[in-house]
Amino acid sequence: MALILVADDEVLLSDILAVMLMDDGHEVMTAPHGRAALQMIRERKPALVITDFMMPLMTGLELAQALKADAELADLPVILLTGAQGDIARRHHELFRAVIDKPYKPGELLAFVKTITNG
Amino acid sequence: MEASLPELARLSSGVPGLDLVLGGGFIEGASYIIQGRPGAGKTILSNQVAFFQAASGRRILYVTLLAETHDQLFQALSNMSFFDRAILGDVIRYVSVFPSLRDEGLGAVVNLIREETKRQGATLLVFDGLLNARDRAETALDVKTFVAEIQSQAAFVGCTVLFLTSTREDDSCPEHTMVDGVLDLSDNIANVRAYRHLQVRKSRGSAALGGLHLFEIGDAGIVIFPRLEAYLGRPTIEDEVDPSHAPTGIQGLDAIIGGGLPAGSVTLLAGHPGSGKTSCGLAFLHHTPADLHALHFGFYETHARLLAKSKALGMDISAQVPDQIDIIWNPLTENLLDKLAYQLLENIRRRKVKRLFIDGIGGFERASISPGRIVEFFAALTNELRSLGVTTLMTWELRELSGGNAASPLPEISAMLDNLIEFQNLRSNQKLQRSVSLLKFRDIPYVDRKFELLFRPGGIAIAELGDTAESRADDEKG
Repeated sequence: MALILVADDEVLLSDILAVMLMDDGHEVMTAPHGRAALQMIRERKPALVITDFMMPLMTGLELAQALKADAELADLPVILLTGAQGDIARRHHELFRAVIDKPYKPGELLAFVKTITNG
Repeated sequence: MEASLPELARLSSGVPGLDLVLGGGFIEGASYIIQGRPGAGKTILSNQVAFFQAASGRRILYVTLLAETHDQLFQALSNMSFFDRAILGDVIRYVSVFPSLRDEGLGAVVNLIREETKRQGATLLVFDGLLNARDRAETALDVKTFVAEIQSQAAFVGCTVLFLTSTREDDSCPEHTMVDGVLDLSDNIANVRAYRHLQVRKSRGSAALGGLHLFEIGDAGIVIFPRLEAYLGRPTIEDEVDPSHAPTGIQGLDAIIGGGLPAGSVTLLAGHPGSGKTSCGLAFLHHTPADLHALHFGFYETHARLLAKSKALGMDISAQVPDQIDIIWNPLTENLLDKLAYQLLENIRRRKVKRLFIDGIGGFERASISPGRIVEFFAALTNELRSLGVTTLMTWELRELSGGNAASPLPEISAMLDNLIEFQNLRSNQKLQRSVSLLKFRDIPYVDRKFELLFRPGGIAIAELGDTAESRADDEKG
């Protein structure tokens, strides 16, 4: 099982997703915005990042760009969950392993997580 | 010499009617509280303003402190025509600062919003969830400090702030003293019908229209109908008396009243059901000169029934509809008084209407949720109609089917009319006779002159009572 970071300013969503991932056997840490997420990633080196798009201080897109620009973190897989900015994110396909539109089916996300973390 | 107030830069709300109520829009760089119970329309109003501003090239920051997720919000807004999913995350950005509030407190939220406002280059900040911030505060001073810090840092970069908050029964609202304006949205019940009001409770540095203003929420968002008597306290145009007359189309009448109704006058046709009021109104519309436009604004007959009636009376208006005569029909169901007035005035201004027939003013009375304002409402409406040079006929139906003692329906309204004509159904020797009394005419003493109303092929006419061929024939038969 893997360490996964969930970045979302909407705690209701990040808490639900964290519980879902933990039930599936993963270890999860959460961050309320991209800047906090980047700091936690540098400290803990998770195996996967699942991020929202619109967040204060640093968006999901900016977070993925910051990871890609960091040689140590450039290969860290990032899944973007988005309600409305899927088109913007898909124009930067090199940054994301997957762009998943909300609402999504939890089973599909968990299967995708399993594929990535089993590597 | 009169000193003039400095012109304040305004931020247009994009909400129909709201700029008028606010005295020209929100003041740029100022802060406002928009409050109301859940479901009152705060979120729709603020998003409507945000998307209007975004469409004008401004950048918006929408901060939430709510349990509702942004996706739920977008789903609810997706039915609104102003909502544009394509600009989300770029021109308009929604962020939640709830984690900062929960974990670090109000100070952290202030810092986060300051940084995010700068990052977004926002000229409009919407803060949805002030009540949650109040719950996190330990004292009233904490709330005031929080509001003061948010608005001062926003004002520093020229950003206008809308704080949204739910009202509570025990609301003492210390933050009201800090902001420049307070808008209150309410949804209410009158008997069994629902209606909504907006009130500007505070407006610093700007003369807002006071009192309660009706509004409704539709697919295009919120539309506000500023209280007519507050908006049109004085007519929009200086009233100029037109010495000309508007022929009525009622044979025999114009010769008695000096050539027709005084142009720009308001005439009430009051009378029993079936006594000929609507027929006289149709005659008036039918005889609209070719170079003028007319409007039928009714509550009873549908478009089709009205055309059929005019044809049956020998005054077929179908060829004049819609180019010369427009017909607006509002069924007597759930109307809003001021919405009716704005619908009427919009048509008159757009089409430059000079002849108007309202059938009847009872439709306005039924739409009034606050009957106490009906006199002021009609004063504003009739003054505006006169200033626009519209010659108006309005009907008022008396409850009795017939009889000779018809009382004035609304004495205070009658006093503000130029002309008053009474229609009666009189029964004499088993015969029904329609009478017309010219009770009041502007500048002409016609008190108590009574005539008989006659329906003839090709139109209607009046004649001295008992002095018509029809009457003589009836008398001979009798």
